[in-house]
Amino acid sequence: MVVKFDVQNLNAWFGSKHVLKNINMKIEENAVTAIIGPSGCGKTTFIRCLNRMHEITPGARVSGKVIFNGVNIYDNGVDPVMVRRKIGMIFQKPNPFPMMSIYDNVAIGLKLNGVRDKKILDAAVRRSLELVNLWDEVKDDLKKSGASLSGGQQQRLCIARALVVEPEVLLMDEPCSALDPIATAKIEALIRELARNYTIIIVTHNMQQAARVSDYTAFLYFGELVEYGPTEQIFENPKHELTEKYLTGKFG
Amino acid sequence: MSRIIDTGLRDLSAILYRMGGLAHHAVLKATIECIEGKEAHEEIREMADMLVAMADHVEDKAFELIARFQPVASDLRTIKSYMKIAYDFARFGRYALDISSINKQVGGLKGCEEWINSYVKEMSEKTLEMVKLSIESLKSHNIQIAEKISEKEKEVDRMYFEFLDELIKCGTTIKCAVSSVLIVRYLERIADHVTYICESIIYIATGQKKILR
Repeated sequence: MVVKFDVQNLNAWFGSKHVLKNINMKIEENAVTAIIGPSGCGKTTFIRCLNRMHEITPGARVSGKVIFNGVNIYDNGVDPVMVRRKIGMIFQKPNPFPMMSIYDNVAIGLKLNGVRDKKILDAAVRRSLELVNLWDEVKDDLKKSGASLSGGQQQRLCIARALVVEPEVLLMDEPCSALDPIATAKIEALIRELARNYTIIIVTHNMQQAARVSDYTAFLYFGELVEYGPTEQIFENPKHELTEKYLTGKFG
Repeated sequence: MSRIIDTGLRDLSAILYRMGGLAHHAVLKATIECIEGKEAHEEIREMADMLVAMADHVEDKAFELIARFQPVASDLRTIKSYMKIAYDFARFGRYALDISSINKQVGGLKGCEEWINSYVKEMSEKTLEMVKLSIESLKSHNIQIAEKISEKEKEVDRMYFEFLDELIKCGTTIKCAVSSVLIVRYLERIADHVTYICESIIYIATGQKKILR
């Protein structure tokens, strides 16, 4: 296993509220890791700690280490913007920039980084749209607004936007919860394709989705990592009683 | 709060208990038929057919639960194992019918030497006790009972080979030899399937794929 993230004694707070408690976890490179658990268990906070997004929230605090490519991203002198460039994020609701064209939605990341050469931009936009299997669907409408696409297309556009700056990791926070089953199936197939070259960490409430797409599954409960292991083991033979209860719906 | 899937799982286990009882009854009838010459072939055939139909029903129900609920963890292990156990019970019915056929086809053990009859009887009692234990273990999900089954299976195995040795030493008529060897062979197979059932029960309860044979 090549370790992409080595999370050590990670704790996170919102004000005085302790939302992640001593998480220790090694996340494999070029694999899909799913984070599951009931609402409020800290799933989203956990992935937001992996690219230093958590600290953006006023009153939010982090302790512990997240070693990414051998460097603790919380060390003094590490630029959070550089971290986030390597570690892209996809959100629950597709959020293309509504006033921008499809083309600009993808190109924006490069433009903001100073790329001006039209040829380079064209090639990068095409490559990203191809990676998310959207190119054939939008190649004649690149000037149209990103908001004109269907929900599933918008989500793939957002993934293309994240990919254009050549990240190594994609964090996905419930990327399919606003999509219909067909759009969901496309995103899930895309996740498996992308996992060949990217490390993907996905938060999902849909346990069957975790079972379908992930190589590893982590179960969080009240901010603690209860169980973490190969997905087939977690879903066939969970070791911890809490995991068993959550997966089979025996809570409450 | 009970879950919707629980109703389906309870239905499945109820069918399995009935199958266990029926399978035990069929094997008991068949061995008595062979040893005492009491004709029961048609009755045993009906029980065997019923067991196959019930196993098919368990499989259909199990598929329905998978399709409806996409079960995971212990639910998934239970459903997979119930399908296997239903098949094992259906095999008991088949072996009972095979034993019963020995009476019909070859003549059974009527008029054979006393030691042969008492040996076969003892082995059938041991095997039937194992069947009972597996049903008990299934009902209570008691893995201690399930784990103990391997000693009993070894004993039945030992008796099987010992019987073959004795038979060759003592000699008997061809009718008695063929009948008795086939019966003990089927009993040995039944004992084997009892251990599969116990392995399934351990798998449901612990997730461990233990080999008891």
